[in-house]
Amino acid sequence: MNEQALTGVINGLAAFILLTAFVMVSHNRMNQLVRTFAIQSIALGAFAFAVAYYTGSDHIYVIAVLTIVLKGIVIPQFLKYTIDKIHVRKEVEPLVGIPLSLLLCAGLVMVAYYVAEPIIAGADAVTRNTLAISVAVVLIGFFLMITRRKAMSEIIALLVIENGIFLGAISITYGMPLIVEIGIFFDVLVAVLIMGLFAFRINQTFETLDTTFMRRLKD
Amino acid sequence: MSDLFLDLTFSLLQTLFMLALAPLIIGIIRKVKAKFQRRRGPSIIQPYYDLAKLFHKGSSQSSTVSWVFHIAPYVCLGAVLVASLMVPFFITNTLGVIGDLIVVVYLLAMVRFFMTLAALDTGSAFGGMGSSREMMISAIVEPTMLLAIFTMALITGTTILSDISFNLASTGLDLVHPSLFLAAAAFFVCLMAENARVPFDNPATHLELTMVHEAMVLEYSGKSLAIMELASWTKLVLFAALMANVFFPWGIATEVTAQAIIMGIVAILGKVVLIALVIAVIESSMAKMRLFRLPNLLTVAFTLALLGVLSYYIL
Repeated sequence: MNEQALTGVINGLAAFILLTAFVMVSHNRMNQLVRTFAIQSIALGAFAFAVAYYTGSDHIYVIAVLTIVLKGIVIPQFLKYTIDKIHVRKEVEPLVGIPLSLLLCAGLVMVAYYVAEPIIAGADAVTRNTLAISVAVVLIGFFLMITRRKAMSEIIALLVIENGIFLGAISITYGMPLIVEIGIFFDVLVAVLIMGLFAFRINQTFETLDTTFMRRLKD
Repeated sequence: MSDLFLDLTFSLLQTLFMLALAPLIIGIIRKVKAKFQRRRGPSIIQPYYDLAKLFHKGSSQSSTVSWVFHIAPYVCLGAVLVASLMVPFFITNTLGVIGDLIVVVYLLAMVRFFMTLAALDTGSAFGGMGSSREMMISAIVEPTMLLAIFTMALITGTTILSDISFNLASTGLDLVHPSLFLAAAAFFVCLMAENARVPFDNPATHLELTMVHEAMVLEYSGKSLAIMELASWTKLVLFAALMANVFFPWGIATEVTAQAIIMGIVAILGKVVLIALVIAVIESSMAKMRLFRLPNLLTVAFTLALLGVLSYYIL
């Protein structure tokens, strides 16, 4: 494959990752949210594969496989299991209406581009342009987290932020050292397991996953 | 001068082609939908018979209508045909000199405007309801459509539709950019919304709760109904041609040789039929959305188009 086609594939996958982030904002069912997260993670894995092929470094291949297996399969399955287990209403109930959130997120993309531009100007990596997209995905993740009420959708928002950071790490530095990446993957996995348990307990105590109830907790 | 003459001849030919093809495409969509429902379905040339029948019938109308109601079918068909003069179909020689993509988009807006005016003019409750719904949908569709085509204008560096397809078709894959796919997806949603296809409207319904487009042409009969129907069918083919030639123009004739033109005709027929099949499959596999859920889907399309423009600058 020649270099130009490869750059095209890398940019296309980055655009697709951004697209899935927007699709997640537009969903109003938790199952859809989990499924789109899985698709996003698989696209992220494919992105890592393309970068690994471009740079020829072995450890990015390992990271790509780990991404697809852990974030594309294991974590979504676990989240699905938890959602099925706690019989809550499956709607996401955003605080801001979906059309408005989509427009706000489009604004966030512009902010991300504005923020990332000085860094892009000085970089020479093939993936430098995807830095703006990774910042945008992180910002959209934050937005998802503050506008959703249910604990479950907030967990997914956290994972979206993590995906954004991962994308950023690959795009500016061609990935962190393998040992750091593996540490992060392990952290994410454990964090999701623990948060799943927390969601379970929240649901048991309050009979809902709505986190606004937890603000009333005082000594 | 002869160049202009050539452009004129070809654009007239292409307009006639689209007009003649429109009922066939509708027939294909209906046939495929019938197959999905395990019916035999009417023949694919049935829409031609329907049109011929309607043209021979007299029309009756409410006594309160004004001149707007009478001229609306002619304005609609006329605007669609003028717009199709500027849209490439099987060759990139069109009358691009008289208007670019903005003219085309707003000629289509004029069709919508006169259709809603005519529906309001009859004073029937259905007409008013249909118009208000149509306007709600088109308020989001119009900027989406413009942004989606603007993305292609950015990529190819021109706003004239035939030049967009010429540049893309002759440069090959070098101009393919991620924003092309985002814009194409956004435009496809516009295609479904503007032509009253299923997630937005049901073209086969006369149930007052759900109809949008049908409510607007409800008062027409005979010849004016035939013209109204022909205008909206041609509009569907026009949108399919825009989708095929602005976003994926490969195969279109870029030079005036017999071989290229035959190739172009085959390519565009294939692409339009493919789009018709996709529409039929979507219509058979989805239910119509609730009216108040429509802004969600349309805003997704708008954001897609906006992302197309943004990612052109980012990537």
